[in-house]
Amino acid sequence: MDTDKRGTEITQREEAVQAEQAEELLRGRPYEVLRALRGALRELWGDKAGLFGLLVVLGIVFVAVFAPLLAPHDPAQQDLSKSLLPPFWYGRGSLTYALGTDSLGRDVLSRIIYGTRISMFVAVAVVAVAGVVGTVLGLISGYRGGRTDSIIMGIVDTQIAFPGLLLALIILAVINPSANTVIIVLAINGWMVYARMTRGVVLSVRQTPYVEAAEMVGCKPKRVIFRHILPNLTSPLLTLGVLEFARIILAEAALSFLGLGIQPPQVSWGLMVAQGRDYVFSAWWLVTFPGLAISFTVLGVNLLASWLRVAADPQEREKRFAASISGTAGSVA
Amino acid sequence: MSVTVFVVTRMIGDPVDILLPLEATAAERTRFEHQLGFDRPIYVQFGDFISHVARGDFGDSLWQHRPATEIVFEHLPRTFELVIPAMVLMVLLAVPLGVIAALRPGRLLDRFTVVLSLIGLSIPQFWLGLLLIIVFSVEFRLLPPLGLGGVDHLVLPVVTLALPAVGRLAMIVRSSMIDELNQQYVRTARAKGLPYSRVVAVHALRNASVPALTLSGWEFIRALAGYSVIVETVFNWPGIGFLAIQSIDRQDLILLQAIVFFVAVMVVVVNIGVDILYKVIDPRIQMA
Amino acid sequence: MSRLSRLVALLALLAMVAAACSSNNGGGSSNNGGGSTASNAEITIAIGSEPTTLDPQLRDDGGERAVTDNIYETLMARTADGQLVPGLAADAPTQPDATTWEFKLRDGITFTDGEPFNADAVVYSVERIIDPKFQSEQSGFFSTITGAKKVDDLTVDILTNGPDPILPSRMYWMKMVPPEASKNADFADDPVGTGPYKFVEWTKGDHVTLERNPDYWGDEPSIAKVTYQFPSESGARLSGLLAGDFDLVTNLLPEDVQTVEGAGMQVAHVQGLEHPVLILNARGGITADERVRQALNYAVDKDAIVNSLFGGFGVPDQCQLLSPSWFGFDPSLQAYPYDPNKAKDLLQQAGAEGQTIQLVGESGRWLKDRELIEAVANYWQAVGLKVDVKIYTFDEYLNRLFDQKNRADAIFVSSSNELLDADRGYSTYYEQGGVGSSNDDPQLKQLIDSARTETDSAKRLADYQQASQIACQKAYFVWLLNNEDIYGMSSRLQWTPRVDAKLLVKEMSVTS
Repeated sequence: MDTDKRGTEITQREEAVQAEQAEELLRGRPYEVLRALRGALRELWGDKAGLFGLLVVLGIVFVAVFAPLLAPHDPAQQDLSKSLLPPFWYGRGSLTYALGTDSLGRDVLSRIIYGTRISMFVAVAVVAVAGVVGTVLGLISGYRGGRTDSIIMGIVDTQIAFPGLLLALIILAVINPSANTVIIVLAINGWMVYARMTRGVVLSVRQTPYVEAAEMVGCKPKRVIFRHILPNLTSPLLTLGVLEFARIILAEAALSFLGLGIQPPQVSWGLMVAQGRDYVFSAWWLVTFPGLAISFTVLGVNLLASWLRVAADPQEREKRFAASISGTAGSVA
Repeated sequence: MSVTVFVVTRMIGDPVDILLPLEATAAERTRFEHQLGFDRPIYVQFGDFISHVARGDFGDSLWQHRPATEIVFEHLPRTFELVIPAMVLMVLLAVPLGVIAALRPGRLLDRFTVVLSLIGLSIPQFWLGLLLIIVFSVEFRLLPPLGLGGVDHLVLPVVTLALPAVGRLAMIVRSSMIDELNQQYVRTARAKGLPYSRVVAVHALRNASVPALTLSGWEFIRALAGYSVIVETVFNWPGIGFLAIQSIDRQDLILLQAIVFFVAVMVVVVNIGVDILYKVIDPRIQMA
Repeated sequence: MSRLSRLVALLALLAMVAAACSSNNGGGSSNNGGGSTASNAEITIAIGSEPTTLDPQLRDDGGERAVTDNIYETLMARTADGQLVPGLAADAPTQPDATTWEFKLRDGITFTDGEPFNADAVVYSVERIIDPKFQSEQSGFFSTITGAKKVDDLTVDILTNGPDPILPSRMYWMKMVPPEASKNADFADDPVGTGPYKFVEWTKGDHVTLERNPDYWGDEPSIAKVTYQFPSESGARLSGLLAGDFDLVTNLLPEDVQTVEGAGMQVAHVQGLEHPVLILNARGGITADERVRQALNYAVDKDAIVNSLFGGFGVPDQCQLLSPSWFGFDPSLQAYPYDPNKAKDLLQQAGAEGQTIQLVGESGRWLKDRELIEAVANYWQAVGLKVDVKIYTFDEYLNRLFDQKNRADAIFVSSSNELLDADRGYSTYYEQGGVGSSNDDPQLKQLIDSARTETDSAKRLADYQQASQIACQKAYFVWLLNNEDIYGMSSRLQWTPRVDAKLLVKEMSVTS
């Protein structure tokens, strides 16, 4: 279709912007990345926002792993005689159910604690699947070039032009929603960014003299990829992965909220908000607390990602250092 | 694209079961299936579909029994009623916020912008909407929480749609303004004695608006084809996004086909519009 | 952050102005206090869905019915508590022979376009709705009708393909349409009936307006004008009611009742049409054992469900899929009491403790469906079963509900019964061969079959009561409750809700 072509032009421009960003991340020499990370850890103390992000993420992982020990109640345990109890600071509430109960008398706090598991599981799985698939396809695309490249990038462009949520909704209407289908759908929707970034990096790295030399000498593609290209990819991939992690937590919550994600009796934050929706006029806590959990987690991951972006990029660090002296740059975001 | 639409929607469950009352008999079911043409071979249905789509005719909605195209065009304006004010609000708030933040980095308004952008990135939109309902409709009874009505019905959904976007756009404006203000030409212009405000307003802002425009176009498309589904569902707003959820719920494939098709068309139109704006802002950009 | 707080204050101010501008509708000039005397009162009713058409014979659509119930009328009508009484018919119908029902019509009634309502109109209406080419979604209600015959101007015979004892109930469902006006292309958008109200306008996506029919044959209605709006979410109806935009809202949630009463408005409730129930598979699996099925009944605390989940707005089912006012109800049956110990004993006897039972359901179609399913699963777990809950999308759920080859152990469904008669519900869920049935009980089948054509209503009632007793004893279902329909009303509206859930504006009035 002629109209698709127009979409491609736009995405090509986006692509240029992204490739540029990727390149910017790589302006430091390849092996400096690890050293930069080490130094950055030291610097973390100086970046309170980044520290906060890291602590939140570690905290959430801790909660997810030790949910059974931390939760005061079984998240599925019902007691109809205790339905819709308010949080503890209300007269009717009690510390036994610190954040109140839902319509079936289940403890909201325990459900939020267990909800971290699904959120983490879905997000890790999607980042892993989409990241691996996207990176491999990006490598192939960038390395092979020619028709393979144009086919893969063609798919990337069409898919980016198509509204992601709408696509996800249609797919989820076809296959019955569950944790697994949510992972599949979000991976289908998310692999393109990795592919595009990887391809950009491959293209720019291959033009550097040392890779050209390596290829000229007759290094096998496998060796070139593993010795020269992948190390260059780790840092931008890490940053992108963490950023995507935040996006996926939000996406899972949104799908579950719309009833097309995680299904009961499984517990998910988005689903909890959806289930509390009927009660906004009578029990505000059902909607408020799970939403806070989502926001808090995503905020932490985002702060961590922005710190990583800076920490992994020496140039950006220099810029910040200079800025902190001259006072022209604000806080990180 | 129309192939995808056909294949995907045809895979959705059997519409016949959904449409008839639970207590319907087998004979009622067969008759109804025939009436809808779902008992014909799939390739016949497909040929039929293509020839109709070419004419912008998707057939009658299974749920509402009217032409699907007609229903889509009834709901599209409702979505624009939300999306356009939200986008205007976004630009009106984000551009001044971003520029001022860039001029005075580290100051109060800059911090505010940064916080706002973090909110935009971190708060789930459906939850933001529900929170606004709890605060403004349930607690203070200031605004109606849901549905159509006067201008007051617009406030909460528009704010929900705009707020996260304001943060994202303000950040882009802020960072590209900072970059521009550090450019050589700004220093040169100031050295030549041009007033700073003029340099900022005319030169720096103009150059900084290219990335801002890219993001605005992107936000517009997402608002139209993504966020509207969520915001309209939260606020029960009968636009195209809510319609999509309802048609999935009612397994109305025909209506869903029409929605997806016209939304995709809108996306392309917005993209073309952004292309034209690029050229207006920066004549050096070539239209291919 | 002073700028931030100023911004918030400004937004709040804007909001208040906007709210003030919009909340002065409704009202008008209502000068008459209550009673049935005519007034100039105008009311607004919020129903959950917009009509898809205003042709009363085409769709099976609750939104359409809510509006057209006031424009069109039927040969038979019902009192507010469900009693079948003559409507457009002058008298109860008679049966000249087994397959004929004869209706005498009221004299002197006209449609609002001037067409007379007579035997010709009845014959036309019957033939229109049963015509296969017309493709009415309501045809299932009239599957026994083969035609209608004019005897004289005010006498009509309705013919059935066999003895049909519930034909009078069916005629309570069939709206009478004018032979001439219904041929207009825009009939679905411009309805013409004999009812107490006549059509004014329909702005699609926004509202439908009706006004009093000055030539109505019956008592003059009190309300002069009624506007329908369609906020689908219950929160939207609630807030509209609180803001004074609506006089009557349907399907108020039990937990919002306090909010409405606290705001000085009225809540009315009445026994509803829905019976949520679990169909147990008697043909195989863990539920093939009668003791297991009984245990599943003993395990569930129906009273707690009614009181907590439904805020007391409902009654536990009396071990049958019927409400007291419906034909076929057996008042002697009692619900299985909540007795978890007995349930455990029975499971042990059956050797079923610790086993897994599948529970299939959906979410969002019926009031509190998901919560009901989760509550039941929890009760079953408490007596020592493992419960495998599967919540499907509605289409996938329907596949499971109708799948007669692979029956799930337990399927959640909400049975609704608009004819207020045991026939349709029992044929669907109780009888072998019914699309949602999970048992092969020959005696049950025989009873339901014979009741379907039994014209002696005492015998017919006995058949259904016996069927209910067998099903109850053999525990083919876990009966839950009959939840009430809850309405929110402005402080000025006077109205008593009906058991058939119809919103008849002629029965409403307002106080000044």
